Amino acid sequence: MFRFWALLKILLINYFGISLIQLKNPANRRDYLKKTGLGIIIMVALAPTIFLYIRMLIQGFDVLAPLGQEGSILSLGVVLVSALVFFFGVFYVVSFFYFAADAESLLALPLRAWQVLGARFCLLLCYEYLTALPFLLPPLIVYGVKAGVGPVYWIIAGLGFFLVPVLPLSLAAIPTIVVMRFANLSRRKDLFKIVGSLFVIALVIAYQFLFQNAAPNSMDPDFLRQLFTARTGLMNYMSRVFPSTRYLGLALVNWSSISGWLSLLTFIGISLLALVLAWVTGEKLYYKGLIGSSETTARHRALSQEDYKRLEQSTPAQLAYFMKEVRILLRTPTYFMNSVMTNLLAPVLVLLPFYIQSHNGVAMPWNSLINPSGQGILMAIVIAIVLFIVGSNAMTATSISREGKEFYISRFIPLSYQGQINAKMFSAFVFGISGTILMVLASTLLIPFGPAWTAILIGVGMVGIIPIIEAGMLLDILRPKLEWENEQQAFKQNLNVMFSMLLSMLMAGLVIYFVVGYFHTALQATLFMLCFFTITAVLLYYLIMSWGIRRYQKLEP
Amino acid sequence: MIEINGVSKSYNRGAVRAVDNVSLTVNNGEIFGFLGPNGAGKTTLIKMITGILNADAGTIRINGLDIRENPLAAKTQFGFVPDDPNIFARLTGIEYLNFMADIYQVPAGERKSRTRKLLERFEMINAAGDRIQSYSHGMKQKIVVIGALLHSPPVWILDEPMTGLDPRSAYDLKEMMREHADADKTVFFSTHVLDVAEKICDRLAIINKGKVIFCGSMEEIRAHARENQSLENLFLELTEDV
Repeated sequence: MFRFWALLKILLINYFGISLIQLKNPANRRDYLKKTGLGIIIMVALAPTIFLYIRMLIQGFDVLAPLGQEGSILSLGVVLVSALVFFFGVFYVVSFFYFAADAESLLALPLRAWQVLGARFCLLLCYEYLTALPFLLPPLIVYGVKAGVGPVYWIIAGLGFFLVPVLPLSLAAIPTIVVMRFANLSRRKDLFKIVGSLFVIALVIAYQFLFQNAAPNSMDPDFLRQLFTARTGLMNYMSRVFPSTRYLGLALVNWSSISGWLSLLTFIGISLLALVLAWVTGEKLYYKGLIGSSETTARHRALSQEDYKRLEQSTPAQLAYFMKEVRILLRTPTYFMNSVMTNLLAPVLVLLPFYIQSHNGVAMPWNSLINPSGQGILMAIVIAIVLFIVGSNAMTATSISREGKEFYISRFIPLSYQGQINAKMFSAFVFGISGTILMVLASTLLIPFGPAWTAILIGVGMVGIIPIIEAGMLLDILRPKLEWENEQQAFKQNLNVMFSMLLSMLMAGLVIYFVVGYFHTALQATLFMLCFFTITAVLLYYLIMSWGIRRYQKLEP
Repeated sequence: MIEINGVSKSYNRGAVRAVDNVSLTVNNGEIFGFLGPNGAGKTTLIKMITGILNADAGTIRINGLDIRENPLAAKTQFGFVPDDPNIFARLTGIEYLNFMADIYQVPAGERKSRTRKLLERFEMINAAGDRIQSYSHGMKQKIVVIGALLHSPPVWILDEPMTGLDPRSAYDLKEMMREHADADKTVFFSTHVLDVAEKICDRLAIINKGKVIFCGSMEEIRAHARENQSLENLFLELTEDV
């Protein structure tokens, strides 16, 4: 057990950079202060969203309390966190357990498989707590304060917070460990990651489709009566996604009675059972799947005629750099899934629920805007989603970060920094166009824009993504994350991704604000958006090519 | 030709002086070895010569072109082999070479024969179609060396080039360095393997704690040595004294 704790401690220091000894050094302290400052900025930036969430919970509590259903707000948080932990868990388990830079080196140490897996599991759990914090803490506190609970509730809530991610993470770990061992797919790890990720996404889409289709019509009086008559009816309904979460909900609602304690014990029991099962599976299979996971089989392919033909052609340097960017984006699973696929999948994920509902005859909230004086607003909404999709794929906001240890190459090759940055932005633009076209076309399934306005909307979207791409580029020039061990970190632990998303939300918000306020017709909205995007794009481009280039020049690997 | 004049670089706001007022001239037609213990400042100086790091003070000229004032022209003058061949792992070897040829604008008519010749020389012709991530450390090193030589650079800069190479490839690399210098071009390389330096260098410099503590030919360094004193002992003595 001592070895397990020792390993966990080292992993925590290594991944989170938390060490009291390091804090004694003033140089490290500066770094800590910087990180803390950044944390505060993020919290301030997220504050409005969290505030909105809290307000929604308070209102939900007030509406549901007369029906005796106020416990549902707890289920909302618990189910949300469980779902997030499970879906992200599948990706994290693969990269943390098998593809981390230090994964193989630990094989040489006298450690049992469960000790290594367990320590990594706990490390991952810590990350999940950070994810859980903004989603789970507000409902726990809102319920506690509004229901006027006693200290026992807070103890159960504290325990519950730490236990909630255990089950979904174990559920994500077990199949991954089994697959990595028996399919021996790790030798084709790139393919495994992409196929695995697509499988999970397909699962989410299928689940959404089935859940929405199978859900009783929300206007059915029988269903509503059933839902609201039992005290925990709504809670049980929501917990269907992760049935065990129901017990935590019951424990929190019945905190003052024996049945509450029994529910808590059941929840703890189920969570621990899943944890033990994951670790036992790890003890049996983890090392067997890990050995050789970093090996890649070479085909020893001799050069083809095409390769020789390509050798006779010369390409302009900037185009060659662009091609390199595109190839790496397409071939690196983390980048492919987070950047390229986001463009293609986001329109489907955003619009599918509405499509299913409209297919089932439910009236869409925007139907009243389908008229000449409301079309501009609808167009602005579609463009706002396009901006958000391109902002959240963070293709330029991670473009320097993604180079990591290879950044030195960009420094010594004889291609101007302007040329490199243009090539990076152009690659993001090319992928962004695909997202724009798909989103606009998908939206026409729900909103009848007509062919001419659809084409114009695509055009406006293509101009609109330029400032988003430029803003992302500026972000990454300002604070690239070049120190990382695996590609996941370049993306998932890169705050630029979040900043890029926030900036795109800001831009989308501004567009909607002005269009809703002043430019209702399609023509007015189009002209406004084109002018707004063009002016922003030109200003940002000027900023990149002047200040940005000077800053890029000073970046050192 | 490389001219380094009064170059300094420090970290942690001046607390650590990695390179301290270094001046060196590396002439055409010579192999110049840059020796020093781990952490002496070898890689930092090489990174400044190649434009990867910015010098705090001093000037660096490659064939008369200042790396700060005229970076693009200066960068076309050299081929660079880093100590850790971290290169685009998801490209195939041939894609990487094509990329380098495009970036350095190697004429279309010459690149096929040059690439083929170098691939054959390093026995990489059957691996060039594979992704770089499947290569061993030595193979990565070889593909980087090939990439650095594709544009026939007048100056060849190598940082610890022998690391990870098998004996045959190490021998070939040394031969190529000699051929390069014999063609009146410049070879500048860092190493901490004294044997290699002793065998192939025309001149060498020893750096310790950021300062150059010796610069001269092999004959000159031997003149420093006491009777029967090996280069190894002399090196230890020099680097301990500072």
